[in-house]
Amino acid sequence: MTTSARVKGFIVAGILPALILYLFFVVVPVFWSAYYGFFDWKGIGAAKFIGLANYAEVVKDPIFWKGFKNNMLIVAASVFGQVPIAMILALLLTKSGLFQRLIRASVFMPMVLSSVVVGIIWSYIYHPQIGVLNFLLDSAGLENLKRAWLSEPSISMYAIMIPIIWNYIGPYMIIFIAALQNIPSEINDAAQIDGVGASRKLFTITLPMIWDTIKVVIVLCISGSLKAFDLIYVMTGGGPAHTTEVLASYMYNSTFNVYRFGYGSAISTAIIILSLLLILGSQYLMKRDYR
Amino acid sequence: MKKTWLIALLTVMTISMVACGNSGSKDASQENGSTAGTKTEKVKLSIWHNYTGDDLRAQTMRATLEQFQKDNPDIQLDIQGIPPDGYRARLKTVAAANEMPDLFVMWPGIMTKEFDGGGLLQPINELLDSKPEWKEGFLPNSFSDFTIDGNTYAVPMAMSPTSILYYNKKMFSENNVEPPKTWDDMMHLVETFNKAKITPIALGNKAAWLAQSSILSSLGDRVTGTEWFLKAIAGEGAKFTDPEFVQALAYLKQLSDAKAFQDGFNSIDNTQMEQMFAQGKAAMMIDGGWALTNLAANASPEAMADMGATVLPTVPGGKGDPDSLSGVVGTGLGLSKNVDGARRDAAFKLIYTMASPEVQKKTLEGNQLVSYKVELDTSKVSPIFAEVYKLLGTVHTTPVYDGRLSSAVADVMNNGLQELLMGGNPENIAKKIQDAQDKELAASK
Repeated sequence: MTTSARVKGFIVAGILPALILYLFFVVVPVFWSAYYGFFDWKGIGAAKFIGLANYAEVVKDPIFWKGFKNNMLIVAASVFGQVPIAMILALLLTKSGLFQRLIRASVFMPMVLSSVVVGIIWSYIYHPQIGVLNFLLDSAGLENLKRAWLSEPSISMYAIMIPIIWNYIGPYMIIFIAALQNIPSEINDAAQIDGVGASRKLFTITLPMIWDTIKVVIVLCISGSLKAFDLIYVMTGGGPAHTTEVLASYMYNSTFNVYRFGYGSAISTAIIILSLLLILGSQYLMKRDYR
Repeated sequence: MKKTWLIALLTVMTISMVACGNSGSKDASQENGSTAGTKTEKVKLSIWHNYTGDDLRAQTMRATLEQFQKDNPDIQLDIQGIPPDGYRARLKTVAAANEMPDLFVMWPGIMTKEFDGGGLLQPINELLDSKPEWKEGFLPNSFSDFTIDGNTYAVPMAMSPTSILYYNKKMFSENNVEPPKTWDDMMHLVETFNKAKITPIALGNKAAWLAQSSILSSLGDRVTGTEWFLKAIAGEGAKFTDPEFVQALAYLKQLSDAKAFQDGFNSIDNTQMEQMFAQGKAAMMIDGGWALTNLAANASPEAMADMGATVLPTVPGGKGDPDSLSGVVGTGLGLSKNVDGARRDAAFKLIYTMASPEVQKKTLEGNQLVSYKVELDTSKVSPIFAEVYKLLGTVHTTPVYDGRLSSAVADVMNNGLQELLMGGNPENIAKKIQDAQDKELAASK
């Protein structure tokens, strides 16, 4: 009794500082910003209470929904691009030879670079006149495939997804490798003795064993994609004419370029609500248990 | 085991001793500093500027601040330089939090108006009236965009024409063409250069304001005349959906339809566009006076010798004055309302120093145009600067759109122009701009 109470006391004492920080810097501002959403405020001068007008405008704003659509495209690209690629790489690179370590390091490298650096590198790869990509197409004799990658509305969003996928594979790969290494070796040995083929082993042993990790990675992927901002901000700023706008960049532009602080707050609240819905939805979809 | 503990203990002790030693000496030096300060009772002033670049103008301004600090030991400046790209946003953010620095680089027009509306500024009329000679030295109308209801809030430290047509003389003579006088000339030039496989006009519209500030502000004025624009922003008898403004948009679209700009102009920025022109990869560019400092710092002397400058061509049946270009007086130092007493006197002194005739002259010699009457020594500046300086003496300036429109409407216009240049419909875009303007007018009533 006394020991368990003491353990509980330790747990509380250990969690409390983090909890307080989290409350003050994450939870409170969320509600604060929802509250600012009720005002018409230019940043300077008095704020005017306008009730739900900002929220009503968000719902009717075509650019907001365009941003949402672009966010969904990034979510799709992450879940169906990043996760499988990270998984395949993890399966290939579980062993720790020199070669594997080299490849692992190079896949993880973009994570270490600042997003601004990544954005600028890819802006130059895609540069319409002096870009590496157009140059390669030129020298491969594929001139008719040359594009202004970041400013042609029909392809710019897809052009942006590639660096986003490339940039964030690393951490997911590491998470998968850790999960794979946690599968008890007895199970693998038993499977080997029973003569299980490689693909059968993958689908009946390996994947079910790390299914919980996959779920976590997918949630991380969705929330990460909804926060997508830095690369887009550096590469296109959401332009041209809102074609690569995502929710976060639209929120930033509304707040800090147009100086509609109230409207920007309303957008961020809408982003939180949409994100929660998506995460809940994905959790529900993945509920079926493979074990 | 015991030995490791001993070593660990020793290490901790040594580190703490070293650390204590350090903090002790720091305290001593701080004490020394404060005793020196109390003798003269220093006046403290904070100032924010955006002169962080490597160009001559920024260097001049930074040197002026340093010199001021040296000459006035009784005034202590807390100087913060913020890179130009993020400067406006940061200033607006501290304005929102009501934590303005005492002095700050401030834009004329809409920004001055917004700050004044928020009760953040105090006028400097007293300073101007105490130095009539200095006041007379400014070019006519220099204060108008800094003045609200008779109160002047800053004096311009520069001048920014936003719409100059720069052209490459060598390319023009190689293709036997002249700078455009009329719109037909312009379209003809585009055709000629495209045939010769040269990009006619370099454009870097990634940040979206360039097509608006540099091209449309002047092109629009050619078509509609200045009076129409002033009526449209006041919402008195003119709308952006009027046929004349739609026509101006149509002219701009005509340029992009004729492939006047290089591919992907919406994904490169203003600096890259200036580089393209400086490296002879395009025959023309439409850019502001700020290009001159950048070119002087980055382009080769031979390249600059080949550059010429003129105004945008006339349009058929246009109501605007063809001898004009859009422009604003440059930034000035705004003074926070919270500064008073001895600090106010010190602030006045600094405002005067930063915009004094000597500094204006130095600024001009740093290839940056000023709103002050100064004789230009052409041997000290680049040839293209001298040419623009001469050009400005012969034309008058018209308003820049985003200097007068509210941020919300300017944003809609900027994005609309990107859309227009990608093949959008002028009428629809004009309507979007007017919708935003209607909303703005309704909110201000």
